[in-house]
This record gives sequence, structure tokens and C-alpha cells, in this order.
Amino acid sequence: MTSRQVISELVLEPGTGKAIELLKGHILRVEQVEGGQCADFNCFNLHDYKEFMHCGRTRTVHGFHPTTGTFMWSAPPRERAMLYILEDTVGQNDVLFPRCSAYVYEASYGFAVHTNCHDIQAEAQREYGLTPDDVHDSFNLFMCTGVDQDGHAFMTRQTTKPGDHVDLLALMDVLAVPNVCGADVMKTSNFALKPLKLTVFAATEADLAGVPGTPTLASQRTPKDFRNPAIKSDRPLRRDPAYKPEFPNTPIVVTELPISLAPDEIAMFNAVKRADIYGDDDAAALRDLLFSWWEERFLQAHAGAPAIESK
Amino acid sequence: MTEAVVTLRLNQQQLELMDRTIAQGVAADRVALVRLALREYAASRKAAAETAR
Repeated sequence: MTSRQVISELVLEPGTGKAIELLKGHILRVEQVEGGQCADFNCFNLHDYKEFMHCGRTRTVHGFHPTTGTFMWSAPPRERAMLYILEDTVGQNDVLFPRCSAYVYEASYGFAVHTNCHDIQAEAQREYGLTPDDVHDSFNLFMCTGVDQDGHAFMTRQTTKPGDHVDLLALMDVLAVPNVCGADVMKTSNFALKPLKLTVFAATEADLAGVPGTPTLASQRTPKDFRNPAIKSDRPLRRDPAYKPEFPNTPIVVTELPISLAPDEIAMFNAVKRADIYGDDDAAALRDLLFSWWEERFLQAHAGAPAIESK
Repeated sequence: MTEAVVTLRLNQQQLELMDRTIAQGVAADRVALVRLALREYAASRKAAAETAR
């Protein structure tokens, strides 16, 4: 097996982040130096920063803790796999929590100034002309989180050791922006700020061969498909007097479809219909049954999540 | 018990999904598809209930 060629190495000091041009086929390794350190991560299409990693789509596809074998997806309407998690020696990452911010440390802890992931990201991204408004929801590496019984997200300590790492393979040219999480008064990084090592490798053929295919669909739209492809360059919002709405598939038209049910079918229906939701509205209950059945029989992903297997 | 008519109200997108399913050979027409859904859905719930017992 051929070994990976090292392209660059860097140690991220506490309180800092770094924007890295990670080309398609390159791997970014984010590695523990001392252990116990969370990394926040942003990612943009290097050639069109309006395409960026979307934690919402990613957690819908892969759950709250993406790890080896999962993808980082860009936001709708792009919805492309940007990165692939090739290796993860810990398996404890998070897409539930947003980045910590100056507001958190001022409001909850009374700090006038404190290291925080939003401002660290913004400062690192500034090297490429991005603004603090461009920082997006972070992929939180090595962050140990969950959801409690009240429905609140919680974070706790981590058990990572020196050398633990996550390898992110670029599936397109991206600007990858990891930062050392600024939280030293929370459990996320075990109440201390430590360095992280970054290594960029060229992927080997074996690395690339292990990446599953993902779909290429007409719905994955880019600016060439937009009715308004121009990026707005000023701040106030003003109505376009020439605007005429063109919502897809409108107007929504309802058609009636009578279904005659035989006595045995009525008995079946009465046994399973959701009267708790629809009361005596049998038409709504039968429609629910029809599409619930369809989901169970034909849907290849969790309801509301896209299927990601290529055909 | 006598026959009863339930009138589904479906929009064009829901009908499209039904028609694409029918085109796969799952059922002969829209009414047959609804009947198939009812039978299979009821059977799966009955089986689940028996397993749970």
C-alpha cells in the first residue's frame, strides 16, 4: 500500500484558526496534540463561497454524530457532498451545537473579551475576504454531546488522547477552516485550551477507492440555474418592483379520488386508522395511511432526509 | 356492514407519486394502489401487534 504524501503541516495554537485551501483529493487531518481539545470547522466551495457546509442537512442524513464513512453536505439548493470522513479514531463529533460566540461568554460568564469560535473563525476567514456574517454553523470535531430528556442539547467532557485524529477528504476544492475551540470554561475541551495539529495529505488511490458514490441530481442547482444568480452587494433590503412570483408546482390543485371499501376493508381501515389525529375525517386518515405505507415500502432514507446512494 | 366510499383529496404532486408507483407495476390503477396500501398497512400492523404479544 502506498503511503500518503504530506503536503503541509501546521500546529494550530490555542485561540487561533487557519483557512486552508484543500483541493479535491486532498485530506485534512485534524489531530490531538495533548488530547482533550475540541475543534470547530467551517468549509466553503473554494470557487464559490456561497456553497458552504450545512450542518442541518448533514445531521439529517447522518445523525448528530457524523463519523467515519459519512459526508459533509453543502446547503440547499446545492446539496453536494463536499467532504468525506475517511478516518476517525474517536467517533465523537457533533453537528448539534452552534459555534460558541462572544455573546455566550459575555452573557453567561461576564467576559468583555474571550476566545470564541465565531470570532476565531471570522478572523481566519478574513484572510480570504469573508466577513463575520459568513461564518456558518460549525462541524464540531471531538465534541461530546447528546440530547437530554427535556429535548435540550448538552455537552460533556471528552476522552481523546494525543494522536487521535479525524481525516477529512475533499471531494471538491474547498476552503477548510478549522479552529481550536475557544471554550476553556466549559466541559467541551475539559476546561483547557490546547493546540491541534493539522496535516494535509494527498489521498492515495486506496483512499479514493473507498469513497461511496453519491447521486448527481437535477435538483442540485448552482448559480447557472438561479433566477437571481447575482450576489447582493449592499446591505439594505429593497423590494424589486418587477418581481413576479414563480413558485414551483403552483397552484396546488386538489383532485378527489373516491375509494369504495368493501366490508372487510372497512374493518381493516377502522383497526388501523389514526382517529386520534383525524377524528371522524376518514378521507384524511386514509390519505395518511396511503403515504405512510408508501414511506415504509419505498423510502430508502429516514423521512425528510435525502437518499444518498448513487443509482 | 355495507360498502362505504371514502373520497381522498390529493394534490397533483401526490397523484404524481402514485402514478410513478403504478408505472413500476405495483398496482393497476390509483384505486387499486390505495386498496393495496390498506391491505399491506393493516397486515403489517396486525403482525407487529401479534409479535408484541
